[in-house]
Amino acid sequence: MDPPTTTTSSDPPPSNLTDLTPHYTFPPFFTLQPNLTTRASQLSSWSTLIQSYARSSHLFSLSLLDALDSPLFHNKALGRRLSARDARVVVDWMASSEGGGRAEWKNRFYIFYRRPEEWAEVVEAWVERTGQKGTVLTLYELTESDAVSGEEFCGMPGELLGRCLGVLVKRGRAQVFGEGGGEGVKFLR
Amino acid sequence: MYLRPIDLTTALRPSLLPDETLLFVQDAVGLYEGKFKIPQYQNGHAYLTSHRACYVDNEDPRKASVAVDLKDVDRPELYAGFMKSSPKITLIPKAAKGAARYRGPSASVTPLSSTPKPYSNSSSPLRSSTSSPAPQVSVNATWVCPICSFSNPVPSNFDPATATAHTPIPPCLACGIKPPLVNVVKAALTAMGNRRESAGPIAATHNTSTPTFQCPRCTFRNHPSLTTCEMCSASLVTMNKRLEVAGIKRAESPGLSLSTSSPGEESMENIKFSFRAGGEKIFLERVKSALIQRKWLLHSAPPVPKPGQVSADGTALDADAARSNRMVGIAGLERRGQDLRKNNELVIGNAFEDLEALMTSAKEIIALAEQFSSQANLSNNCNGNNSEAAALVSQSASALGLVTTKDMLGSGSTSDSLYVSELSRNLAEFLTDDARGVLKREGGIMSLVDLWAVFNRARGGVELISPADLSKAAQLWDSLKLPVRLRKFKSGVLVVQGRDRTDEKTVASLLAWFKLAHQEPPEVDVSWDWSRWGRGATAQEVAEAFGWSVGVATEELEMAEEKGVLCREQGLDGIRFWENWLKGV
Repeated sequence: MDPPTTTTSSDPPPSNLTDLTPHYTFPPFFTLQPNLTTRASQLSSWSTLIQSYARSSHLFSLSLLDALDSPLFHNKALGRRLSARDARVVVDWMASSEGGGRAEWKNRFYIFYRRPEEWAEVVEAWVERTGQKGTVLTLYELTESDAVSGEEFCGMPGELLGRCLGVLVKRGRAQVFGEGGGEGVKFLR
Repeated sequence: MYLRPIDLTTALRPSLLPDETLLFVQDAVGLYEGKFKIPQYQNGHAYLTSHRACYVDNEDPRKASVAVDLKDVDRPELYAGFMKSSPKITLIPKAAKGAARYRGPSASVTPLSSTPKPYSNSSSPLRSSTSSPAPQVSVNATWVCPICSFSNPVPSNFDPATATAHTPIPPCLACGIKPPLVNVVKAALTAMGNRRESAGPIAATHNTSTPTFQCPRCTFRNHPSLTTCEMCSASLVTMNKRLEVAGIKRAESPGLSLSTSSPGEESMENIKFSFRAGGEKIFLERVKSALIQRKWLLHSAPPVPKPGQVSADGTALDADAARSNRMVGIAGLERRGQDLRKNNELVIGNAFEDLEALMTSAKEIIALAEQFSSQANLSNNCNGNNSEAAALVSQSASALGLVTTKDMLGSGSTSDSLYVSELSRNLAEFLTDDARGVLKREGGIMSLVDLWAVFNRARGGVELISPADLSKAAQLWDSLKLPVRLRKFKSGVLVVQGRDRTDEKTVASLLAWFKLAHQEPPEVDVSWDWSRWGRGATAQEVAEAFGWSVGVATEELEMAEEKGVLCREQGLDGIRFWENWLKGV
């Protein structure tokens, strides 16, 4: 399993990108529409496409600069690409409340095909399923160990993991202790 | 007086007969019949043409629009208005056919119609109060040809008072030689003199004898109860008239306002135009001059004599012309051209020498003007593309009888808005005229600037309209319910299009056009699935496909985009428009 946190143009294009959003082959899809209703629907299509792309290539975050040359924003077969400015608009929209908070800017941008709260549920469900409630797990164990290699949250960046654990802590489902790389988390029963 | 329903043009103006010209327009006019208002005919436009005085209602123009033929009008009378009573112009009808025209003592008001009436063929006066019959040439006025001594009738429109050397006189019926003017004038004057003397006695005799009704075709005097002429079996004019001749009077109108909703069509009442917003003076003046000019006679007027006949020794010239016809080759062609030029010169010279003559030779002059303009066209054709515009100009120049000019309209506070509204109607007619097809050629839509240019061209350099007037007039299309409308695009561009062409229709036709691209593969290979997405089109391509100008096409496409029907693709070669698959898929 390769570390999927970064994307470069060398990544193999997901074969099903066209299937994810049929608009991917529609030339005007790569021009931001001036008509507001059309634009809203276009942006939501883009959002769907980016999320599906991230999910299928197991990405948690993207660097905008790299992504511009990736098949996501550049349809080589069609000869159309989304300009940097427009891509930024798309991501901004995804990050906005209108776009459902499906992205977040942090140097690069996170793509929340699952929001932190949703991730928290996924992690908790895994802990439940593997009967590890009450035990203490390190963050490394949660994201990088062999135990989670088949899980969706495998390879999740530490910051994102921190956030979803934060959600669990708030809900009173977990307790985080330790600091500086050696943090552990205890899932409460 | 006969109020007859009239045809209206698309712009709700009276449609004019050939040779008919618009003289005057006034709004806020009501109609009276006799002393009584005619209900539902109380707020409209009065159109005075050379042939008719028309009333076009503001509320229901298609139903309530009537006209009085000026040929039935004896004279107009002005009532200046008093306190709240508006000024009115009464059109006093001529007496029924078969009876002499009655001229009251107020002859000073009468237009100077010393010209003879066209069909004054009898001199039995209807009313006994006849005091001073106007000078008229009765039909039996004849002049004797000095060559062959054949008695020719004096032409009915011959006016001894205004006749000049250039007044056209038909040649002798027997020998074809044109008579000296003096002979004809003398004959006409003699005939008039005779008539004056005999008028009184004849009146007396006819009043005592049984009333008769004269057939308009063969002049046989029929008994009034007959419906067809005994001699020629032509149908005799309306019952009412005959009854009137027989002395049967129409019942008094019951109230101040007529109870019938449609004006009496066969009554002999005076028709009054009530001018609630002024304009009566000019109307009166124009009616008078129209009554003098009598354009309605024009189509039966004798043609302008050919040069061969105009000159004194007609025979010689005729022979000359005959000889020239026999010439062949280049010399013959040159000779013919020369003759033609000479003829034209003569006609134009005659026409402009005095106004009276111009009026009679109007037809010829118009024909000449048309010919000149078509020649101008020919030379333009060599220049190429220009030809269409030039053709348009020349067609329009002749067809522009229906022009509203500022001096045609009444003065006063409303005249400005009236001018604009008339101009507005004028423009609407110009645009929707099928013969010209201005709008059609532009694909049903044209920018206001283009319209301004074409319209002013069509006006042929006179009475040009200012852009401000045009835009004001164009804005009135909606309120006047005319079949064209002014549309403002998002960018502020103003265009003119038919009222039936709504955005929805445009969008539908655009969409249908885009759908075509799903059926047939594009000419060049494309990287997308054309059967699914169709193709993108630039404004240029759309303009070509629909016959629009590129500017209009851009605006229409953006309008469709605005409606969410199309979407755009910004490419290196500009903006292409696509069907909007982004929405709701």
